[in-house]
Amino acid sequence: MLPWFNNHLSLITERLEAVKKYTENELVLLLKRQDRAAFTYLYDNYSGALHSIILNIVPDHDLASDVLQEVFIKIWKQIDTYDDGKGRLFTWILNIARNAAIDRVRSKSYQNNLQNRELTENVYDSAGATRTPTDHIGLRQWVHKLKDEYKMLVELSYFQGYTQDEIAKMLNMPLGTVKTRLRTALIQLRQIIKN
Amino acid sequence: MDIRAYIESGVIESYVLGMATAQEAAELEMLRMQHPELGEAIARFEQQLENAALLNAVNPPPAVREALFAKLESEFVTARPMTPVRTMTGLRFAAAAAILLLVISSALNVYFYSRFRDANEKFAALFTERNSLEANLNITHTRMLDMYGNMQLMGDPAMIKVSMTGTPGREQNLATVFWDSKTRDIYLLANKLPQAPSGKQYQLWALVDGKPVDAGMIGDCNGLCRLKNIPRAQAFAITLEREGGSPTPTMDQMYVLGKVG
Repeated sequence: MLPWFNNHLSLITERLEAVKKYTENELVLLLKRQDRAAFTYLYDNYSGALHSIILNIVPDHDLASDVLQEVFIKIWKQIDTYDDGKGRLFTWILNIARNAAIDRVRSKSYQNNLQNRELTENVYDSAGATRTPTDHIGLRQWVHKLKDEYKMLVELSYFQGYTQDEIAKMLNMPLGTVKTRLRTALIQLRQIIKN
Repeated sequence: MDIRAYIESGVIESYVLGMATAQEAAELEMLRMQHPELGEAIARFEQQLENAALLNAVNPPPAVREALFAKLESEFVTARPMTPVRTMTGLRFAAAAAILLLVISSALNVYFYSRFRDANEKFAALFTERNSLEANLNITHTRMLDMYGNMQLMGDPAMIKVSMTGTPGREQNLATVFWDSKTRDIYLLANKLPQAPSGKQYQLWALVDGKPVDAGMIGDCNGLCRLKNIPRAQAFAITLEREGGSPTPTMDQMYVLGKVG
């Protein structure tokens, strides 16, 4: 009777654990203590959102999955450096995901791979669908709604990770103009996100 | 600095999305400490961004989750799932202990109740005995005080002592009258008189100029019996009469007789 009861109680506790909702403070605290349930919760709640931003930058699904795994390992290993005084946990992990994705795209192996693909795809598939990030998921779907002059700046800055200096040089535009336009673009982006 | 304009300049969005230059970020973090409304505005945008991102999530393939957890499995601190099992063991132990204690406690209750009843009965008996002892002591004490009073009376030099000896055939009888020469009160000590039969009582007579005068009935008194006041008498005698006394003595029932002086 008692062992039977014990087993059922453990099962129920595990299930409760699975649907349990943490406050952000609890979650961070438990993650810092290397708690498995908290990490499971983090993954189940945020992997989709992070996957989506990674796909905005790394269109290849297999590579995006690989980056996502790398991102969660980084979160796990670096949670102690997270400072909740500087912003929400999601802001922190979103930036980790964005940076990891940009790093991946800039890596030598990725670039080489891309060039190889372009060669073959130019022969067989002129559309090149696999390397063009889709415009209908994640942050990119909102960026897509911006005016072209803003869209380009956000693309270069946010998704490709160029600095404002680099963009100014690339587009042969004064740095002040890049700065102003980029900020205007972000304010508009915010309005779009709000709705 | 116009903080409102700063908040609306787009710098917050740039900062949160990780696009701000190091210099811009440093400036914002400094201003944030001075202006709470800036912090609130940042928090609002962060929340909007999180909500929007969660709404537009694209779930990764389950294989990613499996691979990730397989990789981190050794690093998780797995103390938590053990907790409920450990608690139950403790609970079971506590239940067993509680039942055992209950049984022991019940047995002790029976034992102590019987001990209590015994002790209570003994106590009640002792209490009764003590009460009767105390009552006896009080009686003895009162008697002793009376005796002391009697001794004082008998030792008084003003007291005239009249010894009444047994009449012929009743020689073993003896009684003494103590007569206060000042107040003329009579006290009687029944030294040796048989127990009066029921319905009968001894009566003291004073013989005044040859005539018997009632000097009082002898009741159940402690030591000296205080009887009547007799101004004059030449002798005293005791007869056995019917209860309550007679106007004249029954001469053949005279037990003792004694002359004054």
